[in-house]
Amino acid sequence: MVRAVPGWLHIVGIIFVALTALILLAPLIVVIGVSVSESQFIAFPPNGLSLRWYQEVLSSNAYLNAAWISIQIALLVTLMATAIGGAAAIAIHRRQLPFSDTLATVFLSPLVLPTIIYAIGMLMFWSSVFGPVTPLTLALSHTAIALPYVVRTTLAVLAESDPYLEEAARTMGANRLQRLWFVVVPQCFPGLAAGAFFAFNISFDEAVLSLFLRGPTLTTLPVQIYSQLEFSPDPSVAAVSTIMIALTIVLIFVIDRMLGLTRFASA
Amino acid sequence: MANVRLTDIRKSFAKTQVLHGISLDIASGEFISLLGSSGCGKTTLLRMVAGLESVTAGGIEIDDRDVTSLPPEKRDIAMMFQSYALLPHLSVSENVRFPLRMRGIGSREEQQEKVAAALETVQLGHLSERKPRQLSGGQQQRVALARAIVSQPKVLLLDEPLSNLDARLREDMQVELIEIHQRLGLTTIFVTHDQEEALSLSDRIVLLNAGRVEQQGTPDEIYNQPATSFASNFIGSANLVPVEITDSAQGPVAKLEDGQVLHLDPNEAIRGKATLALRQEDLTLSANGMGLKAKVRTRVFLGARNRYVMSLAGHPLRALTANDLDFANGQEIALAIDPARIRVIAD
Repeated sequence: MVRAVPGWLHIVGIIFVALTALILLAPLIVVIGVSVSESQFIAFPPNGLSLRWYQEVLSSNAYLNAAWISIQIALLVTLMATAIGGAAAIAIHRRQLPFSDTLATVFLSPLVLPTIIYAIGMLMFWSSVFGPVTPLTLALSHTAIALPYVVRTTLAVLAESDPYLEEAARTMGANRLQRLWFVVVPQCFPGLAAGAFFAFNISFDEAVLSLFLRGPTLTTLPVQIYSQLEFSPDPSVAAVSTIMIALTIVLIFVIDRMLGLTRFASA
Repeated sequence: MANVRLTDIRKSFAKTQVLHGISLDIASGEFISLLGSSGCGKTTLLRMVAGLESVTAGGIEIDDRDVTSLPPEKRDIAMMFQSYALLPHLSVSENVRFPLRMRGIGSREEQQEKVAAALETVQLGHLSERKPRQLSGGQQQRVALARAIVSQPKVLLLDEPLSNLDARLREDMQVELIEIHQRLGLTTIFVTHDQEEALSLSDRIVLLNAGRVEQQGTPDEIYNQPATSFASNFIGSANLVPVEITDSAQGPVAKLEDGQVLHLDPNEAIRGKATLALRQEDLTLSANGMGLKAKVRTRVFLGARNRYVMSLAGHPLRALTANDLDFANGQEIALAIDPARIRVIAD
């Protein structure tokens, strides 16, 4: 067990936590502050108080189109990553396949893969084999980097589950499909839901792949924010970012209500 | 309800053979226990009857039908697991309804009636809407039992279902199992390592040792007439004493390794090298009476009784006595036993 912590170490700990919180939260506070500014320019603390930039964002076709594309791609990625990652996790967990461990490593490897190198490679590969980049290209590459999260969260809940459940179901007359649907999938559900949440978020705010694999009609929200910031910076960028932060917080609350956040922490 | 016939069942994992040809005829409605220590193959045998383990050689018949290569879901059996294996996402009543739903037995209304009846049987009707994790271990166990009997399976398989319960609950559940078996008359195969459990529940006990049937019989036969030294040691943890039996003027006598002699029952037929099985509760200890001389090594206080560990002819010997007998460690005492209670096993 943990021994008594000396007083000075306790204080160091508090300072450390406070600093971490500051570094995490300060940028968010600045963004939210800038977003309610009246001024044309990005400045903190904000000058005046208005919601004009929110109005600007919500009436801007560029932002709305980009957001719609981002949402569509994120939903497709969520679907693909959850289906593939869930199936992979179940297969890895059962250890019935040869090379189960190797397979697990392969599915987790995108975590350590430098995204920029993957993005360049994907761009070269796709254009030389299939031609121009399409939304599907982006969705596929987002799926690749989102997979490890689904695999890990699903493996984590499977590891906690009773290994005899499926055998018990067999003795109760459940055939293969019935076992999958009534026993295995419900067991995986918390992991799949957590993985789906990660997959959606990863795709929705992914910038590197989206930047390399963009096209005239394929601009995701992060790329749109980046271009806006680069070419005509104004507080609309902050407003759209604040909306994204709000959406994420809402999502986290929904997931927490459904499953409890502690499960992700263990994943 | 159905009979079960096992014919020369063998099982090997990789190169290790764990079952060496087991044949058993289980009558319809019989409650049979597979008793043995861990690793004797009892659970493997049960899982083979369930179809969860493949059969290396031999045949399994349920209700006079060969099921050797049939998967578990087609065998019309029910099994209760040591971990209970309740589906955590389903309520108690949904768990109990599961086998009916999977097998498509009856309409929804009929299924719900059967579920209610099964839950009544285990006295859990009032908890039907709870989730398994909201129940105590004993309650989860009852749910598992209700789930196992709800579909009136041909054979009920129980894999050490009571081993995770505390002593008090276990006794209650034993009584409940006996009553349910009497009421429903299901053919039941019960796996346990606990001899008392096997003795109190079964119509017949099959004692397994290292993948072979050591002895089978009614609890009375198994307890009172153990056929081998393994059986007498396993059941009732009898003391095994090596002796040589010879004739004397007063009938057969057993000579211990240290030269002491013990008079046997006049009708005893075995001669030569043999093993005596002496039950702990059959030994009478006295400070200076007649009998074998033994030296006290330790006393273990058990509440209602005392257990004395003694040294007899160089072997440890255990005896259960009344709790008011008081001997000192190292004290030399006399051991007496009714010759009729001595079990002689030929070597």
